[in-house]
Amino acid sequence: MSIHKEVILKIENVSTVYEGERKPAIKDINLTVNVGELIYIVGPNGAGKTTLLETINGLLPYIKGRVFVFGMDLQKNGRKIRSRIGYVPQDFMVEPDEPFTALDVVLMGLYGKLGLIAKPTNNDVDKAYRVMKLLGIEDLAKRPIGKLSGGQQQKVMIARALAKEPEILLLDEPFSNLDPKSREMVISIIKNLNDHGLTTLIVTHDIKSIIENCRRIVIMMDGRIIADASMNEAKRIFEYSTFHTHVYL
Amino acid sequence: MIPLDFPIIQRALIGSILAGLLTGLVGVFIIRMKLTSSSFCLSHAAFAGAALGITLSLNPLSMALIFSAIIASIIGPVADKAKLHADIIMSITFPLNMALAFIFITLAPSVSQLTGEFTTILWGSVLSMDINDIAILAIILLVTTIVFYLLWKEFFSIMFNKMMAEADGINTKFFVYLAIFIIGIVVTLSLKLVGGLLVFALLVNPASTAFQFLHELKKIVILSPLIGAATCAAGLILSLFLNWPVGACIVMISTLCFAISVFLSPKRKRG
Repeated sequence: MSIHKEVILKIENVSTVYEGERKPAIKDINLTVNVGELIYIVGPNGAGKTTLLETINGLLPYIKGRVFVFGMDLQKNGRKIRSRIGYVPQDFMVEPDEPFTALDVVLMGLYGKLGLIAKPTNNDVDKAYRVMKLLGIEDLAKRPIGKLSGGQQQKVMIARALAKEPEILLLDEPFSNLDPKSREMVISIIKNLNDHGLTTLIVTHDIKSIIENCRRIVIMMDGRIIADASMNEAKRIFEYSTFHTHVYL
Repeated sequence: MIPLDFPIIQRALIGSILAGLLTGLVGVFIIRMKLTSSSFCLSHAAFAGAALGITLSLNPLSMALIFSAIIASIIGPVADKAKLHADIIMSITFPLNMALAFIFITLAPSVSQLTGEFTTILWGSVLSMDINDIAILAIILLVTTIVFYLLWKEFFSIMFNKMMAEADGINTKFFVYLAIFIIGIVVTLSLKLVGGLLVFALLVNPASTAFQFLHELKKIVILSPLIGAATCAAGLILSLFLNWPVGACIVMISTLCFAISVFLSPKRKRG
C-alpha cells in the first residue's frame, strides 16, 4: 500500500543573489519536502545553507525559479506563509541594554498570527510560558533578554519560534551556543515535535548533533545541493569523500 | 509667582504639556526605530513648507504640515528603493529642504512678513499659542496614542528586530512608513513650542532619559511622555521666572534631566 505524502515545500530551480553581488549565493536549487519530514542541511561555511533557509521563508528574494510553501507561491503570499513558519536565525545576539524581557520576545512569535489590532490574550501568555517551561527558561521570563547568556538567548529564540505553533520549523545552527545538556534537551524537544508531525529543517555544519528521527540529509557546497541522501547514504558520503572535513570544520 | 490666571500663560502651559506628551511618546519610536534624523529633516521640511506658504500667500502652518507630510511620505519608499536606511535618506533630504526654503524665501514678496514667521518656526513661540493650536495638539496626541496603542504589538516587534518581525509575517515596511509620517506631523506641530532648531531635543531627550531607568519598553513608552510633559512645563516656568526664551529653557531643562539620569541610572551600577 502506498502512503500518500503531502508536499509542504517545493523549490524549483531557485537561485538567490545577494545585493551588490554577481555570483548567486545559491543556484539552481531543487528541493521537495513532505509534511512531517526532518531534514538536516549540512555543508561548510559559505555553502549557502543560511541563504537557502532565508529564501524558503521569503526574507531573501530569489532571482530565478519558484518556491511553493503550503501550496502557495512564496512571492505572492510571503507574509501569510511566514506567519506559519517558525524561524530561528543563526547567532542571534541581543545588546545588553535592549528593553525587552525574555517573555516579550517569546510572545512576539505569535504576533504575525494574531492579525492587526488584536492583542495577545492570557491564553497566548500561558502558551508562551508553557514553551519557556518546556525549554527550562520559565524563570527567565521577566529578565531583560540582553542580560541573558548566549545559550539562554538561543533558547528564547527557539521558544519564540515554537510559541508560534508553526507548521514548518526552520532552525539555523540552533545548537551553536548550547551546552551539551541543553543541546540534548533541545534535540529531545525537536524530536518530540517532529514525532507529532512538525516539518523541520535544521541547518548545521556539525552533524554530531544529529537527531535520530532524521531520515534525510541535504549536503550543500558552493551554493548547490550536491547530495540529497538518506542517513545511511550520507554516512557513506562522509566516510568515503573529502566532504566530511568540510562539514565538520 | 507664575501668573497662572492669565489665559495666555494657561494656554502656554497646556500647550507645553501636550507637546511634551506628544514628543515624548513619539521619541521612543524615533530612538528604537533609529529615525533620529527625522526631527531635523522634517522640521526643515516644515520650514520649507512655511516659506512656500508665505511666498504663495497661503497659511504657513498648513503649508508646513502639507510639505512635511509629503516629505515624510516619500522617505520610506525612497529608502527601500535606494536600499538604504531611512535615516540616511532623511540626512540627504535635510539639506534639500533647506535649499528649497532658501529658494522660497528668495521668491517671497515681503521680507518683513518672512522675518516674523520664520522666527516663530525657527525658535518657537509658545506664548502665541491660541485655542486652535491647543485643540490641534490635543487631537493629534489622541490620534497618535490610539494608533500606537492599536498597532503596539507590530511596532513593539519591529522595535525589537525588524528582520524577525518580517519573519513573523509583519508588514514592516508599512509600519516604518507610518511611523515616519506620524513623526512628520508631530514635528511640524511642535514647531510653535520650541521651533525647528530645538525640536530635536524634545523628541530625543525624554525617551533617552526614560531608557536610563527602565528595562521594559512598555514602561518606557509611558514614562517618556511624562518626562516630556514635565520638562516642557518646567522649561516654560523657568522662562517666565528668568524672562528667557521658552524653547531654550525647555531644552536646557530637558538636557539637564538627561545628564542627571545618566549619573543616577541603575543600569550603570554594578553589584
